[in-house]
Amino acid sequence: MVAAEAAGFIALGAGIAVGLTGLGAGIGEQSIGAAAIGAMAEDPKFFGKGLLMTVIPESIVIFGLVVALILLFVF
Amino acid sequence: MLKPEKMVRVVVVGTNDALDQTIESLHKLNLLHIIDYVEEEAGFKIGKPGSMASKFSEYLVTLRSIESQLGSEEGSGFDKKILAEELSPQIEPTLSELEEEVLKQHDLMRSIETELKQKQDIEDTIKSLALLPLSLEDYTGYQSIKVFVGFIDSNIEDAIRAETNQYELYTGSIEGKKIIAVAVAKEKEDEINKILQNDSTYTEIRPPELTGNPQTALEEIAAAKAELTKELANAESELIRLKQEYAEFMLASEEYLTIETQKSEAPLRFATTDHAFVVDGWIPLNKYDDFEKTIEGGAGNVYVSRLEDEEVKDVPIALDNPKPAKPFELLVETFATPKYKEIDPSLILFITFPLFYGIMLGDIGYGVLLGILSWIIMSKVKSGGLHELAIILMYSALSTIFFGIIFGEVFGFPLFNIMHHGMVEGGILGIAGPNIGMLHLPIHRFAEVKPLLVMTFVIGILHITLGLILGIRNVSIEHGFKHAVTGKLCWLMILFGGIMAIVTAMPAILWGDILNTQDPIFVSGIVLGIIGIILLVKGEGAIAIMEIPTLLSNIFSYARILAIGLSSAGIALAVNTICRDVLFAQGGVFIVVGILVLILGHTINLLLGIIGPGLHSLRLQYVEFFTKFYEGGGTKYNPFGFIRKYTEE
Repeated sequence: MVAAEAAGFIALGAGIAVGLTGLGAGIGEQSIGAAAIGAMAEDPKFFGKGLLMTVIPESIVIFGLVVALILLFVF
Repeated sequence: MLKPEKMVRVVVVGTNDALDQTIESLHKLNLLHIIDYVEEEAGFKIGKPGSMASKFSEYLVTLRSIESQLGSEEGSGFDKKILAEELSPQIEPTLSELEEEVLKQHDLMRSIETELKQKQDIEDTIKSLALLPLSLEDYTGYQSIKVFVGFIDSNIEDAIRAETNQYELYTGSIEGKKIIAVAVAKEKEDEINKILQNDSTYTEIRPPELTGNPQTALEEIAAAKAELTKELANAESELIRLKQEYAEFMLASEEYLTIETQKSEAPLRFATTDHAFVVDGWIPLNKYDDFEKTIEGGAGNVYVSRLEDEEVKDVPIALDNPKPAKPFELLVETFATPKYKEIDPSLILFITFPLFYGIMLGDIGYGVLLGILSWIIMSKVKSGGLHELAIILMYSALSTIFFGIIFGEVFGFPLFNIMHHGMVEGGILGIAGPNIGMLHLPIHRFAEVKPLLVMTFVIGILHITLGLILGIRNVSIEHGFKHAVTGKLCWLMILFGGIMAIVTAMPAILWGDILNTQDPIFVSGIVLGIIGIILLVKGEGAIAIMEIPTLLSNIFSYARILAIGLSSAGIALAVNTICRDVLFAQGGVFIVVGILVLILGHTINLLLGIIGPGLHSLRLQYVEFFTKFYEGGGTKYNPFGFIRKYTEE
């Protein structure tokens, strides 16, 4: 019973870690994405740089995922 | 390799009578990166453009405006190139002829379009009027009666009746809107108009000056419209015919005119006196002998000399890599052109980019599809950025197949038999994975998350270490070794000190074991890290301490190599499970649905699989790797010349 509860909490924690960081990355990306599209409208050469800048906040999700993976597989 | 091509500064000096011949040779050689002469000093002036320059650029402007009107596209070259000397006398007459034709068709199209618009407006009006029981001539042409027509929502009759009883009201409705026609005596026109205008729901309709039954009029208009549409289509197909007929001429003459404009405007970049000219620029070192021979071998008094002790500033950068690594120059240039003394990382990207990509996607099926896709692009597009991207994709596809074998995955299905929760799940090959040395295939990604996670961190540490080592090299060449120690080496010390300390302390952090502070590895790690921090503070000030955690986040960032892979394998697995265990098990029509889900699911996953691993692999290079050593900011080598596609001399 206790083990099952612990497993449940670990799963919850993993979900929260990925979910909240996903939200965070989304909030970060929205303004960068908008600015990148704006820059691209001025000069299509910004496509590469804009795309890169836009994916930078995605790191946060990766950290969340690392935390989730550690929770699920290491503990 | 790893360094931009060696360049040498050259000066070409000659007398003015040899100017044209020299420009001709320079352009044909396509080697000299000209440094524009900007200041007028000591008797030197900026040269004057050739006599034909304005004529050529005028033609070019005309030609480009015609091309944009016709929507011409660039082709990939002709089977047979057109001779420039045959083309040049044709340009003026053909161009004016073409311009006239295109303008004529455009004017025609514009007038047809205007007429169509008018007919459309009349048609809309008559459609509304057709709901009233009146002929078209009933609305206008009276001496003592005024007819108001319009849409209205409210009931207006009472208000009219209050004003006059000499009126006639007709109503009808279309799509829920009410339409009315009110005929009143002319002397009451202003009052009734006021009543109608004061009603906010009233929109007036102006009846066209036509006669007869609305239905008949509608049919006539429809016929006229069909006729106009046909004329418009004729004009359009005439434009398409022009575009096809003159396609070759336009491409060839644009190239010819561009080249001639370049040549005749070249003196604007030279320094000249009354009798001589001087051209300053850079060429690749290994081409110098050819260059000297060709230029001095031309007509007249022209001499080439090289400036040996010129300080290396603003050297144009021509990247120099072995052929297989060439396409990766595109990725480096997208970030920034390297400086002359900097390491050119294209060759490193050639190894690491497909490696990361392959580990992320790691599926034989997707790898084969990607390979086919890139092969198709490569054979369709023969040059330019897309071609190079396709080559990069091809390397990535090969790497994906290789790691697909290691992970034992084909479209998410297992390649070899695997043990799954104590049960054997049959693979496609139906055999157990082979052992290669110590490695037992397949490494199932879902079962081996922990070791794979550790592997990604090791990859990250190695990649960042390589970056820092390159950083030490770049900084010590540009600013001296002392700066390299306080700027880059200290980071390497912090990195390895930190790793040694954290790895030995890990059991204590995770499971609450007792930390052995006497452990020599732990102690030397701490010491190394502290020395690194001291050097860092010495070099960049105390604020740099704030940056230390980025090292940790940089390494964690490499976990995406596993994470992206797990998500793509997870989607594939989910699609397969839905189809095999849920839909196919039901039989009947569900098998068709299952096949659709299978195709759709894997297509989406493949698209994500191109974008995701590509972007993230690139990001690891740009953000985690390049920031350790790469500054960029060089000028790209752009030699004076042109690569002819459509014409020849």
